[in-house]
Amino acid sequence: MKENIISTDHLIIIVTATIVGTMARALTIKEDFRQYPTYPNGYLIHLVTGFVAASLGAVAIPALMTKNFVAVTFLALAIQQFRDVRKAEKESLKDLENTESAYRGDAYIDGIAKTFEARNYFALIVSFTTALTIQLVDSKFISINVMSGTITGLIVLYVIKRFSKGKTLGDIADVKEGKIEVRESELFVDGIFVSNLLGTENAANMFQKEGLAVVIIPREEHFRIALDHYGQRQAALFEATRAVGVKRYHFTRKEYEKGKIVITLVPIIKDVNKLIEAVKKTPVLESVKKSHSVMDTNLFGRE
Amino acid sequence: MGRESSERPTYTILAIITLKKERILGGSQLALWAENEEQQKTMTQDIAKAMKADVVKMKNGDYLIIRV
Repeated sequence: MKENIISTDHLIIIVTATIVGTMARALTIKEDFRQYPTYPNGYLIHLVTGFVAASLGAVAIPALMTKNFVAVTFLALAIQQFRDVRKAEKESLKDLENTESAYRGDAYIDGIAKTFEARNYFALIVSFTTALTIQLVDSKFISINVMSGTITGLIVLYVIKRFSKGKTLGDIADVKEGKIEVRESELFVDGIFVSNLLGTENAANMFQKEGLAVVIIPREEHFRIALDHYGQRQAALFEATRAVGVKRYHFTRKEYEKGKIVITLVPIIKDVNKLIEAVKKTPVLESVKKSHSVMDTNLFGRE
Repeated sequence: MGRESSERPTYTILAIITLKKERILGGSQLALWAENEEQQKTMTQDIAKAMKADVVKMKNGDYLIIRV
Protein backbone atom coordinates (compact mmCIF):
# COMPACT_ATOMS: atom_id res chain seq x y z
CA MET A 1 0.00 0.00 0.00
CA LYS A 2 2.76 2.39 1.05
CA GLU A 3 4.74 2.06 -2.22
CA ASN A 4 1.72 3.46 -4.05
CA ILE A 5 1.94 6.67 -2.02
CA ILE A 6 4.11 9.48 -3.31
CA SER A 7 7.53 9.72 -1.60
CA THR A 8 8.35 12.58 0.79
CA ASP A 9 11.10 13.85 -1.54
CA HIS A 10 8.71 14.11 -4.43
CA LEU A 11 6.06 15.67 -2.26
CA ILE A 12 8.54 18.38 -1.21
CA ILE A 13 9.45 19.01 -4.84
CA ILE A 14 5.82 19.26 -5.94
CA VAL A 15 4.65 21.43 -3.05
CA THR A 16 7.62 23.83 -3.17
CA ALA A 17 7.50 24.19 -6.95
CA THR A 18 3.74 24.72 -6.95
CA ILE A 19 3.96 27.40 -4.27
CA VAL A 20 6.84 29.22 -5.98
CA GLY A 21 5.09 28.98 -9.38
CA THR A 22 1.81 30.31 -8.00
CA MET A 23 3.73 33.07 -6.24
CA ALA A 24 5.30 33.97 -9.58
CA ARG A 25 1.81 34.39 -11.06
CA ALA A 26 0.65 36.38 -8.04
CA LEU A 27 3.63 38.73 -8.34
CA THR A 28 2.90 39.35 -12.01
CA ILE A 29 -0.75 40.31 -11.47
CA LYS A 30 -0.52 44.02 -11.79
CA GLU A 31 -2.77 46.51 -10.24
CA ASP A 32 -1.41 49.63 -11.77
CA PHE A 33 -2.72 52.87 -13.20
CA ARG A 34 -4.53 50.85 -15.85
CA GLN A 35 -6.63 49.21 -13.16
CA TYR A 36 -6.80 45.85 -14.83
CA PRO A 37 -7.55 43.33 -13.42
CA THR A 38 -8.66 45.14 -10.31
CA TYR A 39 -11.61 43.14 -9.25
CA PRO A 40 -11.50 40.26 -6.75
CA ASN A 41 -12.96 37.86 -9.30
CA GLY A 42 -10.28 38.80 -11.82
CA TYR A 43 -7.60 38.11 -9.22
CA LEU A 44 -9.10 34.79 -8.28
CA ILE A 45 -9.43 33.58 -11.87
CA HIS A 46 -5.82 34.40 -12.67
CA LEU A 47 -4.47 33.03 -9.40
CA VAL A 48 -6.28 29.74 -9.90
CA THR A 49 -5.11 29.34 -13.51
CA GLY A 50 -1.63 30.27 -12.29
CA PHE A 51 -1.87 27.59 -9.63
CA VAL A 52 -2.90 25.00 -12.23
CA ALA A 53 0.00 26.06 -14.47
CA ALA A 54 2.43 25.86 -11.55
CA SER A 55 1.14 22.40 -10.59
CA LEU A 56 1.68 21.14 -14.13
CA GLY A 57 5.25 22.42 -14.11
CA ALA A 58 5.87 21.01 -10.62
CA VAL A 59 4.83 17.42 -11.35
CA ALA A 60 6.86 17.10 -14.56
CA ILE A 61 10.16 16.29 -12.78
CA PRO A 62 8.74 13.72 -10.32
CA ALA A 63 6.91 12.13 -13.28
CA LEU A 64 10.19 11.81 -15.18
CA MET A 65 12.02 10.50 -12.12
CA THR A 66 9.50 7.71 -11.73
CA LYS A 67 9.98 6.84 -15.44
CA ASN A 68 6.46 7.94 -16.12
CA PHE A 69 7.39 9.45 -19.49
CA VAL A 70 3.85 9.40 -20.85
CA ALA A 71 2.70 11.61 -18.01
CA VAL A 72 4.93 14.42 -19.27
CA THR A 73 2.65 14.75 -22.30
CA PHE A 74 0.23 16.59 -20.03
CA LEU A 75 2.41 19.61 -20.70
CA ALA A 76 0.63 19.66 -24.06
CA LEU A 77 -2.55 19.98 -22.04
CA ALA A 78 -1.03 22.97 -20.30
CA ILE A 79 -0.41 24.68 -23.62
CA GLN A 80 -4.04 24.12 -24.55
CA GLN A 81 -5.16 25.46 -21.21
CA PHE A 82 -3.09 28.63 -21.62
CA ARG A 83 -4.45 29.17 -25.09
CA ASP A 84 -7.90 28.94 -23.60
CA VAL A 85 -6.91 31.58 -21.05
CA ARG A 86 -5.93 33.87 -23.91
CA LYS A 87 -9.17 33.13 -25.76
CA ALA A 88 -11.31 33.72 -22.67
CA GLU A 89 -9.50 36.99 -21.95
CA LYS A 90 -9.99 38.15 -25.51
CA GLU A 91 -13.69 37.32 -25.53
CA SER A 92 -14.22 38.99 -22.19
CA LEU A 93 -12.51 42.22 -23.28
CA LYS A 94 -14.34 42.25 -26.62
CA ASP A 95 -17.64 41.87 -24.79
CA LEU A 96 -16.80 44.98 -22.80
CA GLU A 97 -15.95 47.10 -25.83
CA ASN A 98 -19.35 48.71 -26.16
CA THR A 99 -19.49 49.70 -22.53
CA GLU A 100 -16.19 51.61 -22.37
CA SER A 101 -15.74 55.33 -22.98
CA ALA A 102 -13.45 54.55 -25.90
CA TYR A 103 -12.70 51.30 -27.72
CA ARG A 104 -9.63 49.39 -26.66
CA GLY A 105 -9.31 48.19 -30.23
CA ASP A 106 -8.50 44.70 -31.49
CA ALA A 107 -4.72 45.20 -31.45
CA TYR A 108 -4.70 46.21 -27.78
CA ILE A 109 -7.04 43.40 -26.77
CA ASP A 110 -4.82 40.91 -28.58
CA GLY A 111 -1.78 42.27 -26.73
CA ILE A 112 -3.48 42.06 -23.32
CA ALA A 113 -4.72 38.51 -23.99
CA LYS A 114 -1.23 37.41 -25.06
CA THR A 115 0.24 38.88 -21.89
CA PHE A 116 -2.18 36.87 -19.78
CA GLU A 117 -1.25 33.72 -21.67
CA ALA A 118 2.45 34.47 -21.27
CA ARG A 119 2.13 34.98 -17.53
CA ASN A 120 0.79 31.48 -17.14
CA TYR A 121 3.94 30.25 -18.85
CA PHE A 122 5.84 32.21 -16.19
CA ALA A 123 4.18 30.08 -13.52
CA LEU A 124 4.91 26.89 -15.45
CA ILE A 125 8.57 27.69 -16.17
CA VAL A 126 9.25 28.96 -12.64
CA SER A 127 7.71 25.90 -11.00
CA PHE A 128 9.50 23.58 -13.44
CA THR A 129 12.92 25.13 -12.78
CA THR A 130 12.24 25.12 -9.03
CA ALA A 131 11.45 21.40 -9.16
CA LEU A 132 14.47 20.73 -11.37
CA THR A 133 16.80 22.59 -8.99
CA ILE A 134 15.54 20.71 -5.96
CA GLN A 135 16.05 17.44 -7.82
CA LEU A 136 19.58 18.40 -8.92
CA VAL A 137 20.68 19.72 -5.53
CA ASP A 138 19.25 16.65 -3.82
CA SER A 139 20.69 17.55 -0.40
CA LYS A 140 19.85 15.51 2.65
CA PHE A 141 18.66 18.73 4.32
CA ILE A 142 15.16 19.59 3.20
CA SER A 143 15.66 23.29 3.96
CA ILE A 144 18.65 23.51 1.59
CA ASN A 145 16.61 21.86 -1.17
CA VAL A 146 13.67 24.17 -0.65
CA MET A 147 15.85 27.30 -0.39
CA SER A 148 17.88 26.53 -3.51
CA GLY A 149 14.71 25.74 -5.48
CA THR A 150 12.98 28.92 -4.35
CA ILE A 151 15.99 31.13 -5.10
CA THR A 152 16.40 29.63 -8.58
CA GLY A 153 12.68 30.06 -9.21
CA LEU A 154 12.81 33.72 -8.23
CA ILE A 155 15.89 34.35 -10.40
CA VAL A 156 14.16 32.70 -13.37
CA LEU A 157 11.07 34.82 -12.70
CA TYR A 158 13.17 38.00 -12.67
CA VAL A 159 14.89 37.03 -15.96
CA ILE A 160 11.71 36.12 -17.87
CA LYS A 161 9.88 39.12 -16.47
CA ARG A 162 12.59 41.36 -17.84
CA PHE A 163 12.60 39.45 -21.11
CA SER A 164 8.87 39.89 -21.63
CA LYS A 165 8.73 43.50 -20.51
CA GLY A 166 7.64 45.69 -23.38
CA LYS A 167 8.23 49.33 -24.10
CA THR A 168 5.80 52.13 -23.43
CA LEU A 169 4.95 55.21 -25.49
CA GLY A 170 7.04 57.28 -23.07
CA ASP A 171 10.12 55.33 -24.18
CA ILE A 172 9.74 56.16 -27.84
CA ALA A 173 8.06 59.54 -27.80
CA ASP A 174 7.72 62.78 -25.88
CA VAL A 175 4.27 63.59 -24.58
CA LYS A 176 3.43 67.25 -24.03
CA GLU A 177 0.36 69.25 -23.24
CA GLY A 178 -1.30 70.66 -26.35
CA LYS A 179 -2.95 74.05 -26.74
CA ILE A 180 -6.63 73.80 -27.58
CA GLU A 181 -8.12 76.25 -29.99
CA VAL A 182 -11.66 76.28 -31.33
CA ARG A 183 -12.12 78.20 -34.57
CA GLU A 184 -15.84 78.42 -35.33
CA SER A 185 -16.83 74.77 -35.17
CA GLU A 186 -13.38 73.34 -35.82
CA LEU A 187 -11.04 72.04 -33.16
CA PHE A 188 -7.30 72.58 -33.41
CA VAL A 189 -4.56 71.42 -31.04
CA ASP A 190 -1.21 73.16 -31.42
CA GLY A 191 -2.41 74.29 -34.85
CA ILE A 192 -3.23 70.72 -35.95
CA PHE A 193 -6.77 70.21 -37.21
CA VAL A 194 -8.50 67.57 -35.10
CA SER A 195 -12.25 67.61 -35.73
CA ASN A 196 -15.17 69.66 -36.94
CA LEU A 197 -17.67 67.93 -34.69
CA LEU A 198 -18.09 71.01 -32.49
CA GLY A 199 -21.01 72.32 -34.50
CA THR A 200 -22.93 73.89 -31.63
CA GLU A 201 -21.87 76.80 -29.46
CA ASN A 202 -22.24 74.63 -26.38
CA ALA A 203 -19.77 72.12 -27.75
CA ALA A 204 -17.26 74.78 -28.75
CA ASN A 205 -17.47 76.51 -25.36
CA MET A 206 -17.23 73.27 -23.46
CA PHE A 207 -14.12 72.19 -25.34
CA GLN A 208 -12.49 75.59 -25.03
CA LYS A 209 -13.12 75.76 -21.28
CA GLU A 210 -12.78 72.18 -20.15
CA GLY A 211 -10.90 70.34 -22.88
CA LEU A 212 -7.51 68.72 -22.38
CA ALA A 213 -5.07 67.76 -25.09
CA VAL A 214 -1.72 66.05 -25.37
CA VAL A 215 0.61 65.85 -28.33
CA ILE A 216 2.80 62.79 -28.83
CA ILE A 217 6.03 63.62 -30.63
CA PRO A 218 8.16 60.67 -31.86
CA ARG A 219 11.83 60.81 -30.75
CA GLU A 220 13.12 59.11 -33.90
CA GLU A 221 11.83 59.10 -37.43
CA HIS A 222 11.23 55.32 -37.45
CA PHE A 223 9.07 55.48 -34.32
CA ARG A 224 6.51 57.25 -36.47
CA ILE A 225 5.53 53.89 -37.95
CA ALA A 226 4.52 52.54 -34.56
CA LEU A 227 2.77 55.74 -33.51
CA ASP A 228 0.92 55.98 -36.79
CA HIS A 229 -0.66 52.56 -36.27
CA TYR A 230 -4.39 52.97 -35.72
CA GLY A 231 -4.47 50.29 -33.01
CA GLN A 232 -1.65 52.00 -31.14
CA ARG A 233 -3.40 55.36 -31.18
CA GLN A 234 -6.64 53.72 -30.14
CA ALA A 235 -4.82 52.11 -27.18
CA ALA A 236 -3.39 55.48 -26.14
CA LEU A 237 -6.81 57.11 -26.40
CA PHE A 238 -8.34 54.31 -24.35
CA GLU A 239 -5.76 54.72 -21.59
CA ALA A 240 -6.29 58.48 -21.64
CA THR A 241 -10.06 58.12 -21.25
CA ARG A 242 -9.54 55.53 -18.52
CA ALA A 243 -7.26 57.82 -16.53
CA VAL A 244 -9.23 61.06 -16.50
CA GLY A 245 -12.70 59.94 -17.60
CA VAL A 246 -14.74 61.41 -20.42
CA LYS A 247 -17.42 64.01 -19.96
CA ARG A 248 -17.93 64.42 -23.70
CA TYR A 249 -15.95 63.98 -26.91
CA HIS A 250 -12.64 62.25 -27.40
CA PHE A 251 -10.53 62.48 -30.51
CA THR A 252 -7.22 61.30 -31.84
CA ARG A 253 -5.56 62.73 -34.91
CA LYS A 254 -2.24 62.31 -36.66
CA GLU A 255 -0.20 64.95 -38.35
CA TYR A 256 1.90 63.85 -41.29
CA GLU A 257 4.64 66.46 -41.45
CA LYS A 258 6.42 65.57 -38.21
CA GLY A 259 4.42 62.49 -37.27
CA LYS A 260 2.81 64.09 -34.23
CA ILE A 261 -0.24 62.43 -32.69
CA VAL A 262 -2.93 64.42 -30.94
CA ILE A 263 -5.14 63.03 -28.21
CA THR A 264 -7.82 65.30 -26.91
CA LEU A 265 -10.98 65.01 -24.85
CA VAL A 266 -13.26 66.74 -22.39
CA PRO A 267 -12.38 64.94 -19.17
CA ILE A 268 -14.25 64.43 -15.93
CA ILE A 269 -11.10 65.11 -13.90
CA LYS A 270 -9.18 68.01 -15.36
CA ASP A 271 -5.66 66.87 -14.60
CA VAL A 272 -3.27 67.20 -17.48
CA ASN A 273 -0.39 65.53 -15.65
CA LYS A 274 -2.47 62.44 -15.10
CA LEU A 275 -3.39 62.44 -18.78
CA ILE A 276 0.25 62.79 -19.87
CA GLU A 277 1.28 60.01 -17.49
CA ALA A 278 -1.44 57.67 -18.80
CA VAL A 279 -0.44 58.25 -22.41
CA LYS A 280 3.25 57.82 -21.58
CA LYS A 281 2.56 54.52 -19.88
CA THR A 282 0.50 53.08 -22.71
CA PRO A 283 2.33 49.97 -23.87
CA VAL A 284 3.79 49.83 -27.36
CA LEU A 285 1.72 47.01 -28.81
CA GLU A 286 3.52 43.85 -29.87
CA SER A 287 1.69 43.74 -33.15
CA VAL A 288 2.93 47.23 -33.94
CA LYS A 289 6.57 46.83 -32.97
CA LYS A 290 9.15 46.68 -35.72
CA SER A 291 12.81 46.11 -35.02
CA HIS A 292 14.58 49.00 -36.65
CA SER A 293 17.99 47.31 -36.53
CA VAL A 294 16.64 44.17 -38.22
CA MET A 295 15.23 46.30 -41.03
CA ASP A 296 18.74 47.63 -41.62
CA THR A 297 20.56 44.31 -41.85
CA ASN A 298 21.88 43.13 -45.15
CA LEU A 299 22.61 39.47 -44.56
CA PHE A 300 20.75 37.79 -47.38
CA GLY A 301 18.59 38.62 -50.31
CA ARG A 302 20.27 41.78 -51.50
CA GLU A 303 23.37 42.30 -53.60
CA MET B 1 -7.04 57.75 -43.79
CA GLY B 2 -8.50 55.03 -45.98
CA ARG B 3 -7.60 52.39 -43.44
CA GLU B 4 -8.77 54.50 -40.57
CA SER B 5 -12.13 55.17 -42.10
CA SER B 6 -12.84 51.45 -42.21
CA GLU B 7 -12.18 51.12 -38.49
CA ARG B 8 -14.77 51.70 -35.83
CA PRO B 9 -16.35 54.09 -35.00
CA THR B 10 -18.67 54.40 -37.97
CA TYR B 11 -20.77 57.49 -38.24
CA THR B 12 -24.41 57.68 -39.27
CA ILE B 13 -25.91 60.89 -40.57
CA LEU B 14 -29.16 61.33 -38.71
CA ALA B 15 -30.32 64.66 -40.05
CA ILE B 16 -29.41 67.66 -42.16
CA ILE B 17 -30.86 71.06 -41.34
CA THR B 18 -30.55 73.57 -44.11
CA LEU B 19 -31.67 77.08 -44.93
CA LYS B 20 -32.00 76.36 -48.63
CA LYS B 21 -34.82 74.15 -49.83
CA GLU B 22 -32.99 73.16 -53.02
CA ARG B 23 -30.29 71.41 -50.99
CA ILE B 24 -32.79 68.83 -49.78
CA LEU B 25 -32.21 66.11 -52.30
CA GLY B 26 -33.29 63.00 -50.40
CA GLY B 27 -31.45 60.14 -48.77
CA SER B 28 -32.05 58.05 -45.71
CA GLN B 29 -31.40 60.86 -43.24
CA LEU B 30 -33.99 63.33 -42.02
CA ALA B 31 -33.75 66.55 -44.04
CA LEU B 32 -35.28 69.67 -42.57
CA TRP B 33 -35.61 73.18 -43.83
CA ALA B 34 -35.33 76.07 -41.38
CA GLU B 35 -36.62 79.56 -42.08
CA ASN B 36 -33.76 81.42 -40.43
CA GLU B 37 -30.46 80.82 -38.64
CA GLU B 38 -31.96 81.05 -35.18
CA GLN B 39 -34.55 78.41 -35.99
CA GLN B 40 -31.89 76.29 -37.64
CA LYS B 41 -29.73 76.34 -34.49
CA THR B 42 -32.65 75.50 -32.22
CA MET B 43 -33.80 72.63 -34.42
CA THR B 44 -30.30 71.26 -34.60
CA GLN B 45 -29.77 71.42 -30.85
CA ASP B 46 -33.14 69.85 -30.07
CA ILE B 47 -32.55 66.89 -32.36
CA ALA B 48 -28.93 66.45 -31.27
CA LYS B 49 -29.93 66.47 -27.60
CA ALA B 50 -32.75 64.00 -28.14
CA MET B 51 -30.62 61.65 -30.19
CA LYS B 52 -27.45 62.15 -28.09
CA ALA B 53 -25.67 62.98 -31.30
CA ASP B 54 -22.89 65.28 -32.50
CA VAL B 55 -23.25 68.30 -34.70
CA VAL B 56 -21.14 69.43 -37.64
CA LYS B 57 -21.54 72.94 -38.93
CA MET B 58 -20.69 72.89 -42.58
CA LYS B 59 -19.01 75.83 -44.29
CA ASN B 60 -22.13 76.41 -46.40
CA GLY B 61 -24.19 77.01 -43.27
CA ASP B 62 -25.97 73.67 -43.12
CA TYR B 63 -25.92 71.56 -39.97
CA LEU B 64 -25.35 67.83 -39.97
CA ILE B 65 -26.40 65.72 -37.01
CA ILE B 66 -24.31 62.59 -36.84
CA ARG B 67 -23.98 59.76 -34.42
CA VAL B 68 -21.13 57.40 -33.71
